[in-house]
Amino acid sequence: MAPLLQARAITKRFGGLTAVSDVSFEIEKGSIVGLIGPNGAGKTTFFNMITGLYTPSDGDMIFDGKRINGTKPSEVTKLGIGRTFQNIRLFAHMTALENVLVGQHCRMNTGLLGTLFRTASMRAEEKAARQKAFELLEYVGLGRNSADEMAKNLPYGDQRRLEVARALATDPKLLLLDEPTAGMNPKETDALTALIYRVRDERELTVLLIEHDMKVVMGISERVTVLDRGIKISEGLPREVQTDPKVVEAYLGTGHAAKGKGGGAPVFDKA
Amino acid sequence: MPNTQRYVKTGGIGFAVGAFFLWNYPNLGIGAALLGGLVIAALCLLYSAPLPDMIKAGLIAGMFGAVMTIVYGTDKPGVAIIAGMLSGLGAGLLVFQRSPQANPKKAAILGAEAGAIAGAWTALALLLTAFVIAPAAGVDAGEFAEHLSETVIFADALGLGSDILILLFAFAFSTLSAAILGAAACAARSLPLRPNIPLLAVIALPVLLIPLIDRAGNLLLLDALIPIYIFILLALGLNIVVGYAGLLDLGYAAFFAIGAYTTAMLSSPHLGINLSFWLVIWVAAAVAAIAGLTLGAPTLPLRGDYLAIVTLGFGEIVPILFRSLGGGPPSGTLTLRFFGMPIGIEQVDLTGGNKGINPISPPHLPFIGDFEPSNKIPWYYLLIVIMGLAIFFINRLRDSRQGRAWMAMREDELAADAMGINVVRTKLLAFSMGAMFSGFGGAFYGAFIGAIFPSSFDFSVSIILLCMVILGGLGNMTGVIIGGLLIQGADKMFIPKGAELFRDIANERASATGSSTVGVSALQDLTQQRLLLFGIVLVVMMLVRPEGLLPNERRKAELHPDDDTINSNSVAAEAESDPSLAA
Ligand SMILES: Nc1ncnc2c1ncn2[C@@H]1O[C@H](COP(=O)(O)OP(=O)(O)OP(=O)(O)O)[C@@H](O)[C@H]1O
Ligand SMILES: [Mg+2]
Repeated sequence: MAPLLQARAITKRFGGLTAVSDVSFEIEKGSIVGLIGPNGAGKTTFFNMITGLYTPSDGDMIFDGKRINGTKPSEVTKLGIGRTFQNIRLFAHMTALENVLVGQHCRMNTGLLGTLFRTASMRAEEKAARQKAFELLEYVGLGRNSADEMAKNLPYGDQRRLEVARALATDPKLLLLDEPTAGMNPKETDALTALIYRVRDERELTVLLIEHDMKVVMGISERVTVLDRGIKISEGLPREVQTDPKVVEAYLGTGHAAKGKGGGAPVFDKA
Repeated sequence: MPNTQRYVKTGGIGFAVGAFFLWNYPNLGIGAALLGGLVIAALCLLYSAPLPDMIKAGLIAGMFGAVMTIVYGTDKPGVAIIAGMLSGLGAGLLVFQRSPQANPKKAAILGAEAGAIAGAWTALALLLTAFVIAPAAGVDAGEFAEHLSETVIFADALGLGSDILILLFAFAFSTLSAAILGAAACAARSLPLRPNIPLLAVIALPVLLIPLIDRAGNLLLLDALIPIYIFILLALGLNIVVGYAGLLDLGYAAFFAIGAYTTAMLSSPHLGINLSFWLVIWVAAAVAAIAGLTLGAPTLPLRGDYLAIVTLGFGEIVPILFRSLGGGPPSGTLTLRFFGMPIGIEQVDLTGGNKGINPISPPHLPFIGDFEPSNKIPWYYLLIVIMGLAIFFINRLRDSRQGRAWMAMREDELAADAMGINVVRTKLLAFSMGAMFSGFGGAFYGAFIGAIFPSSFDFSVSIILLCMVILGGLGNMTGVIIGGLLIQGADKMFIPKGAELFRDIANERASATGSSTVGVSALQDLTQQRLLLFGIVLVVMMLVRPEGLLPNERRKAELHPDDDTINSNSVAAEAESDPSLAA
């Protein structure tokens, strides 16, 4: 079976800085893959190249058999890639419900005339969209009470979950999560981990996640890829990656581990 | 502590306005300074004073009725009836805003009290006019009584002979109608309906009655009201672009001009094309919408200040273009070179240059015939229909997939893009929809005025429209309408009428004391200071209440970062965030 996403020798340069260098990488349909690496390794840059926010300087990005280099972000989303952001980027002054409705935008068809004349099909679509938005909010564990709350007023953990709901609303085949548990307490982290499993199993999605919490990433991922300074230094089963000397070197040698963003050294203690 | 601060702030504002009047109009002396300063300071103080909401709402709304009564009352005391009704309605809505009620009965009582206060306030202003202001302006008691009996409707019918009785009747009528409207408005608002038809009916009632009262009392208010409504229509269109989609447009008057010129060219003897208004208004809207797309396209990559500058340029270019597309020598030829081949084009006088296009054909309806310039009533109702439709459709746009896309784009363009929103299309749609509504406005304006000139569409129009949107509250239609009523009311009614009244008073004083009338010419400048006044209002608003009078909840939160409840964690996350997405 062809991989869902395939990066072929992808490189991204910012002036003199090579943020991602010659990375090749595949994700099988239905798998959960972890992407780890010290701060500044190029993980988010890699995400941005998948979602069209950056155009790769070199190499090809293939999604579902199509080359997507240089495709606009909104088009990429339409093709079936949903994402969350490392630093939450909700529509802060819209309600939770509206955020999820915006996520459904590209799956809705009502045009200008349909809106102005509120045709039967528009009303049906709008009703279905609301219904689906409520379901998604419930699905990620936000109750109906949160629906009319402005996104910025939600507790932090709920904001992260709302971002997942909004990404799911775009009906993705591939879900990209950029540090979904950052800043969460252990209970919230467990709930989110459970959610990721459910998303994969019940919605048949493929999940690629960046994660600093080693316990989470090693527990949940079927395969793990490690970037360091833009270069892919290791790849494989979580067990293999943890004991790879190059990975140990990357985490301990650079001093990033000391900052302990929930990651780094615990590779060995916790996992 | 914050209260003290407020008092200092508001007192300062009142003082500044008072000083402004005093400095500009020394001959008027303390009186005018006090009037201007006091009104504003009193409003601000009232707003922050620890009074029951009902009294506060009544006094604030009544203030507008009172000012309207004072400036118009000397020659048209009947205005007090309209002023009383409107202030009662305003009081009812305001009191609900401040203390929402779930029980319609309680709401009605509250609204009635607030409305009665507003109405009484207005009626007091009528007494003040009768006994103090009218005599000061040189209208003696007999003359005033004549005005009164002329304009207070029903007075004759009721056979009220005595002037005092008529005055009392006017007083009672103003208070009573204000109380009834206040009660109805407040009660209607407490109903959990969507759409709230009773509320719409309560608001529509005085709006629809105004022309009849105006006709009966010979008040001639429609001359001022129609241009005010046109500007509100334009502001509603601008609100789509600036308020919903977050695109700062400083050249919006250009689309107004395009709508008006399209109408003028297609519906006047000027070019010999004389199509029906009912067709042309749609053409004008379509042309304006296309112009919106055309302007939108090159500005797509621009944001914030850059966008503002380009739109400002567009707003300047369009009137110049209309000026230079006509008025040349009739037989002039324009020589263009096309691949080196000279082509002579006979220069057609498309737009009449500086002289503009005059006359423009009015709309025509069976039974009514041509709309006459002298009879404003059909025009008024036509405009109400256009505005009603505009509000209706803009509401639909806002509550739809398109409207949500606009707001998402305003909140975070990059995230909106990543969520599958085609940013290009969404921006262009906002520009063209915004322009379309000003196209309707322009078409009506052209037909209503019957003549258009390039100078009617200059930069100050764009700025006043923006003021209206900002004053009322970006992104909130009710707010925009209120902001529009206040600014346009001041611009087209209170300031010119007030200036006239001041002039009469000053003349009267001058002739009484036998001195010359030096102050009088300075007074006429009052109307020319209006832009300065709006400037002051905007600056003050930005300092005191940047979210506008009736803010969109979202904006309010955006503009008051201190009481932001964003979780501190997310701020930390923001700080740690990668530079990549900060762009
Ligand atoms: N738009 C940009 N312009 C210039 N440099 C950039 C840009 N985006 C990313 N970089 C640089 O590329 C490198 C990789 O950044 P990236 O955000 O991908 O790291 P990361 O692995 O996501 O790190 P973290 O764990 O801190 O999120 C960093 O050095 C960063 O400064
Ligand atoms: Mg990152």
